[in-house]
Amino acid sequence: MATFLSNNKPLLVKNKSQGMMWVFAALNFIFLCCAGGLFFFLIFESYPIFKLEGFDFWLGQDWWVGETYGALPMLYGSTLVTALACLLVIPLALAVAIFTSEFLSSTPRRFVKSVLELLAGVPGIVYGLLGVSFLSLWIKDIFGLLDGNTLATAGCLLAIMILPTVLTLSEDAMHAVPAEYRDNALGLGLSKWQTAIAVVLPQALPGIVGAVLLGIGRAMGETIAVMLVVGSLDRIPDPWFNIFSSAQTIPSKLGREAAESIGEGAHWSALMALGLTLFLMVFLITFVGNHFLKRRRIS
Amino acid sequence: MVRVLLFFLLAIGGIPFSVSADHSPKIEIVGSTTVLPIASRAAERFEKFERFERIERVERVGKVDKPSHRLRILVNAGGSGVGIHSVARGRSDIGMASREISASEKKRFEGSHLKVHTVGVDAVACVISSEIYDAGIHDLSRQEIRDIYLGKIKNWKEVGGPDRKIVVVDKERHRGTRHVFMNFIFGNPTAKTPGTLLVTGSNNEEQAKIAQSDSAIGMLSYTWVNGEVKAIGIRDKKDIITPTRETIRKGNYPIIRNLNFITAGEPAGEVKAFLEFLKSPAGQQVVEESGYIPFK
Repeated sequence: MATFLSNNKPLLVKNKSQGMMWVFAALNFIFLCCAGGLFFFLIFESYPIFKLEGFDFWLGQDWWVGETYGALPMLYGSTLVTALACLLVIPLALAVAIFTSEFLSSTPRRFVKSVLELLAGVPGIVYGLLGVSFLSLWIKDIFGLLDGNTLATAGCLLAIMILPTVLTLSEDAMHAVPAEYRDNALGLGLSKWQTAIAVVLPQALPGIVGAVLLGIGRAMGETIAVMLVVGSLDRIPDPWFNIFSSAQTIPSKLGREAAESIGEGAHWSALMALGLTLFLMVFLITFVGNHFLKRRRIS
Repeated sequence: MVRVLLFFLLAIGGIPFSVSADHSPKIEIVGSTTVLPIASRAAERFEKFERFERIERVERVGKVDKPSHRLRILVNAGGSGVGIHSVARGRSDIGMASREISASEKKRFEGSHLKVHTVGVDAVACVISSEIYDAGIHDLSRQEIRDIYLGKIKNWKEVGGPDRKIVVVDKERHRGTRHVFMNFIFGNPTAKTPGTLLVTGSNNEEQAKIAQSDSAIGMLSYTWVNGEVKAIGIRDKKDIITPTRETIRKGNYPIIRNLNFITAGEPAGEVKAFLEFLKSPAGQQVVEESGYIPFK
């Protein structure tokens, strides 16, 4: 907003079909209103709890309906499962994407891509059911745990869920790197492998970061799959890095408690404040990601 | 495995048992997963019964009702707290609750004039994984259960079982089963339980998680007890009372509760007819078939 106000550029690009443009502009405006409306609705609904608890809402560790609302365990859980999912996904996605984009000929590549895109569309509940029926039991047996409903289980499940999305989008980004870059690199005597790592990967980085951000968004917001395997215990693990203990995430908390308090009271307000927090977290990550990319492009 | 999947499909809550797209009269029932089997079974039978009545009426009057006027009953899960909240706020016609309306809810929904219609009686069993049951734990005292939920007892060997850590399974705090169970154990329906390891929602979810574990303890409606999830007796000094249909019917087993349908104000029309059907002998048979004790 500030930029186009300061440097006298016109708001709209000149073109011949003005009528059609205004229709699209109106649609654009509706969309902006929806996004802004959602944000203000969340602020409005969560205001009472911030008035009641202040910053203790984010710092408190106890969530007892009707007494006190502390969101730290949920914040922590959400952050940890997402980080865990990213940690598992990024190396794997990059390795497979490099192979698919640079070393696979076009027919098998198209096959791989179509399978990946199919997987990316599988709904969360399907992963959730598989997670609760198999993954949680495997994790319990493999690590010799007391119970399989843990942060690690949720992290693994999310990794499996977002892998196809991250993979197919980063592969697209790599494949979109112009062929001249590769030809030049190969002409200079670099091997195919060196070309992929030193030329294609840096060129495709903005697209890859975008893919990862999209994956993070999905992982942070996933409700039902996480709710079934995370244990839903509102407590920060002890010690804090113990990923093999039950915990709670923001969407899972909302999923479990929203129906009993719809539309009224401190409880509802606290849940809306959790929603707002999640909104801000995703916003922050996307913002930081984009900022990082911009700086890279300039330098 | 297929059964576990099915449990969880049900456990998600919000699965309409019959769906209607037209504007025919309809009753929406939401709430406790304990009462849900009664409601869905009764709904099926009542819809048939209603149709039968209409056919008789058609024969008498000689006029055919429009098919779009057939009664539809939708039954949804969610838990007792959700049931009471949604009926009080007009989001459903009938709420199901496997507990009484709490004092705070009474105060909060004073304007809705909630009316309780009790249809059956059920027991809340303290349940454990079959592996622990087979290893010799068949009963616990109230004090022992309390200490397990408080985190003072962490291993089964402290109560005479195998040397295995206890997986303490709790329920969401608004759930009816939890209210009743904690009221018995702690004397406080919303007791805090620092010993908890897992929190579950519906009966299906808790049953599945206890069945998956080999050292879990939890609380379940008596009818959800099965081969993998065993009910244990409550020990009081030398007396041990195990939940069975007999001890529940006689009122000997200490953790029993009423199964309630709740309306906002006096019921009328189809809702009234449905509730009367539930209290009739045919309805009470549905309660019995669902595994609960009919309400005298």
